[in-house]
Amino acid sequence: MRNADVVIVGGGPAGLAAAVRLYDLGITDIVILEREHQPGGILKQCIHDGFGLTRFKETLSGPEYAKRFVDEAQKRGIPCITDTTVIDVSADKVVTAAHADGMIVIQAKAVILTMGCRERTRGAISIPGTRPAGVMTAGVAQAYINLQNRMIGKEVVILGSGDIGMIMARRMTLEGAHVQAVFEVLPTPSGLPRNIEQCLNDYGIPLYLSHTVTDIRGEGRLTGITVAAVDERMQPIPGTEKDYDCDTLILSVGLIPENELTIGAGAELDPKTKGAFVDEFCQTTVPGIFAAGNVLHVHDLVDFVSMEAESLAEGAAEYIKNGSLPKAGIAIACGENVGHTIPQRISGEKSFHLSLRVRKVMKECTLTVSQGEHVLLTRKMKKALPAEMINLNIDAKKLKGTDDLEVKVV
Amino acid sequence: MTRDFTCIVCPNGCDLTAEYEQDAKGIRVLRVTGNLCSKGDTYARQELTAPMRTIATSVLVEGGTAPLVSVRLDRTIPKERIFDVMAAIRRVSVKAPVVTGQVIIENVLGLESNVIATKDIAAK
Amino acid sequence: MKHYDVAIIGGGVIGCAVARELSRWQLSAVVLEKEPDVATGNSSRNTGMLHAGFTYKPGSLKAECAVEGNQEFDRVAAELHIPFRRTGKLVVGFTEHDRENILKFKAIGEKNGVKGLRMIDREEMNRIDPNAGGEFAMYAPSSGILDPMQYTIALAENACRNGAQFLLEHRVTAIHREGESYVIETDKEEVAARWVINCAGAYAADISAMLGYPRYYQRGFKGEYYVLDKKAGVQLSIPVYPAPNDKGGFMTHATPTIDGNVLVGPDSYITEGREDYANRREQLAGLVRDGGKMFKQMRAEYFIRNFAGIRWKNCNPETGEVLDFIVESKRECPNTVNLVGIESPGITCALPLARRAVKLLLEGEKAQGREVKANNRFDPVRPRAKRFYEMTIEEKTAAIEANPDYGQIVCRCENVTRAEILEAIHNPLGVHTLTGVKNRTRAMMGRCQGGYCQTRITEMIEQELKVTPEEICYQKADGYVFTGKVRDCE
Repeated sequence: MRNADVVIVGGGPAGLAAAVRLYDLGITDIVILEREHQPGGILKQCIHDGFGLTRFKETLSGPEYAKRFVDEAQKRGIPCITDTTVIDVSADKVVTAAHADGMIVIQAKAVILTMGCRERTRGAISIPGTRPAGVMTAGVAQAYINLQNRMIGKEVVILGSGDIGMIMARRMTLEGAHVQAVFEVLPTPSGLPRNIEQCLNDYGIPLYLSHTVTDIRGEGRLTGITVAAVDERMQPIPGTEKDYDCDTLILSVGLIPENELTIGAGAELDPKTKGAFVDEFCQTTVPGIFAAGNVLHVHDLVDFVSMEAESLAEGAAEYIKNGSLPKAGIAIACGENVGHTIPQRISGEKSFHLSLRVRKVMKECTLTVSQGEHVLLTRKMKKALPAEMINLNIDAKKLKGTDDLEVKVV
Repeated sequence: MTRDFTCIVCPNGCDLTAEYEQDAKGIRVLRVTGNLCSKGDTYARQELTAPMRTIATSVLVEGGTAPLVSVRLDRTIPKERIFDVMAAIRRVSVKAPVVTGQVIIENVLGLESNVIATKDIAAK
Repeated sequence: MKHYDVAIIGGGVIGCAVARELSRWQLSAVVLEKEPDVATGNSSRNTGMLHAGFTYKPGSLKAECAVEGNQEFDRVAAELHIPFRRTGKLVVGFTEHDRENILKFKAIGEKNGVKGLRMIDREEMNRIDPNAGGEFAMYAPSSGILDPMQYTIALAENACRNGAQFLLEHRVTAIHREGESYVIETDKEEVAARWVINCAGAYAADISAMLGYPRYYQRGFKGEYYVLDKKAGVQLSIPVYPAPNDKGGFMTHATPTIDGNVLVGPDSYITEGREDYANRREQLAGLVRDGGKMFKQMRAEYFIRNFAGIRWKNCNPETGEVLDFIVESKRECPNTVNLVGIESPGITCALPLARRAVKLLLEGEKAQGREVKANNRFDPVRPRAKRFYEMTIEEKTAAIEANPDYGQIVCRCENVTRAEILEAIHNPLGVHTLTGVKNRTRAMMGRCQGGYCQTRITEMIEQELKVTPEEICYQKADGYVFTGKVRDCE
């Protein structure tokens, strides 16, 4: 068994950003374990642009954005062991991974979990029908088209208005496929407005809200689907069914943080985020195990993924030096219209970054962070969308005592 | 007259409203509102007169560790030329190694935009 | 045209078991299967239960074979190296009426020779599994769980190693007799055989008619399933069945799988479609409702997949009464063995039925003056390397040292390595589909359903089998995955 100050599980935009920042804070004994052949994570297949505007003030494609962090890590000589799949992280921070040269077992002082997320599947949402080829998630379609040079179909329907789904609608159109429509079960789009504009409207691809797929047909290959409008309980409305002939159904129906290792380590998960409960240091309920990026909660922009990971470096460095961090005794409650927050608990000793999402579309609303009667922060917003994360900085000096906080948007 | 837009320049996706006049000589934009930054103003004006877009796609790689290299345009092109540019990109291939930023097609179709690689692809 | 001693129609669990049992003898045998793999029909579309035998009419072939198959299965699993666990089973009730129906089955089970059946109260149920629904239960200790796909594949591979041949993607279209042989027409080529054994499952009545037997009436009782995440699997240790209804049928149950998932289902309704395996919205809703009564942790966040199967029961065409399995060999249809109405408990009964079929064949051969010699080289053992995820860390280290491909995990959900995928791609039956790899390795079967590994596996199939992208298929021969390349050299 080897030792390391920090083991980072996953060399995507979160893991690489955390590594670089930790290194710059003087923690240089870092090992990144990456399951793929190259670092960069999912960004390798996200060849569209629009990344980096917040973090780098310029618009980059996914591979270019990833390269910034890969280069920074390389410049510092931070080892990133690729083709390595972590199969276990223990509560006492022993990381076990499989590699072609043998099993890797490392005792770390701190572990940073940056495994990202996975896509919800057909099975997760129980779409009825047969099981032909030609039904796949948007990320799989993206990997085939952008990495492997494989074309997946000609007549396409997309279920789910997630960003990747809309981006694949444009991508497939550019490559000669006919994308008939995008259907979204919710009454509001799940992806960003700019993607509706530049990926769907630009190419004349209609978006139908409050619609879902109720049947899948075809034995060998997909031959068609049935779509129906849904009511407010998201149940199909009889009589609204319409058939579409297609050979491809792409699903963009949500992302789920990939937390099997987190659970194995004994960290508690928040049912709202499906990621770990964390404090303002991004520390999970297991001391010394931290999480950031999409493994913690699904982000809208990769910029925020990297920035969240960078923000944990200070706390992780402190933990490595002192063996502990201030106890997080103040809970942050989700008040009216707030779906979740990160962090869920804070120590109150440090100013912190608060991320949240609202539950529904709102216009001309006000966000309030309060502690009992005491209001810490209000922010007026022209609009708030579930598709967009809201990011705030909270000044520790404004906290009064150790009462719990509440965040609401009304 | 007014027209509403969703700004695509950045993830804020501002809801823009442009007030404009239109006659035989063309469109004159009077005012843009709803934008959080000046890029929104520029975007709305351009969108009314001559919409511009960029594209991201792939080019075939010969002798590389991957079959494709991802590419994008370094400047926007007229929206109506997207499929012409795609056709031009489809016709070319590039020999590995390829490095990020490498110009794959210079001044594509004379549109004053280069097709550049966005990924490093090593030679096999 | 190739000539064989025996042609077996159908590569389900019965056809593969017959092939395996036949390979104990010096007979050339071929299995004709219409799909690109074995076990694509109802052999893979069931609960994977090794039944105890307490639900079948005493004296029936179902009862006899179920008890026989149950009792021998520890040895079978050891020979074929398939994972198997005698979990026992709970048949649970809520009302006094349920209790009466359960007790009826207990009496039947005892008559059938099922050992150890006893009634238990909620307190004892809690000790066995607190997540099992119901107020009281009958505990059946001899029930077990297995993976029916692995089992069928193992039977097929063992038969194959012992000399049987498999012609996949060969759909039988007609059969006629020429001299002393049968000529079997398929959608590929004609095959000649002295004997024909009908193991066609859903199509058994059609083949039966082609062979000159009466056209039996097989009725399709369809049932749908939910597959739940292993996170649910750790919360259920024993199959939980509801009390039988007044007709003696079991409805939706919850069963842990041998691989650690949970199956919830099947429900039961009549279908006309031979391969009507589509899931229906209203049925799935019913499974959620009824499954929750059996397994208290039936939750939407655990859903990873649905599937459906059809029990083709041999029925009385007038009354609709469900009849017994048929294994027969009639003089009017010389040199044939006909298996009809083989449904649940077909997995449990596969080898007992196969032995009965082979016995009829051997008797027929003897009657014609042929003495069939035993195959002295028959080896009942089908070796299988331990799976990476089953290995201890020391075993993992040793495996990687011997073969570095064990150190490359391709499927992260199920921890399936490159070594295991390669072995599956180069399987002895020559199966080349994506689901072929899936059913052999469990890659793509986990909670991400191939989101991570599918692209890697199709790439490996292309490279290893030297096929074009267009030739990759998912499950069926026409189930193409790709329409071509995005960019191609002119």
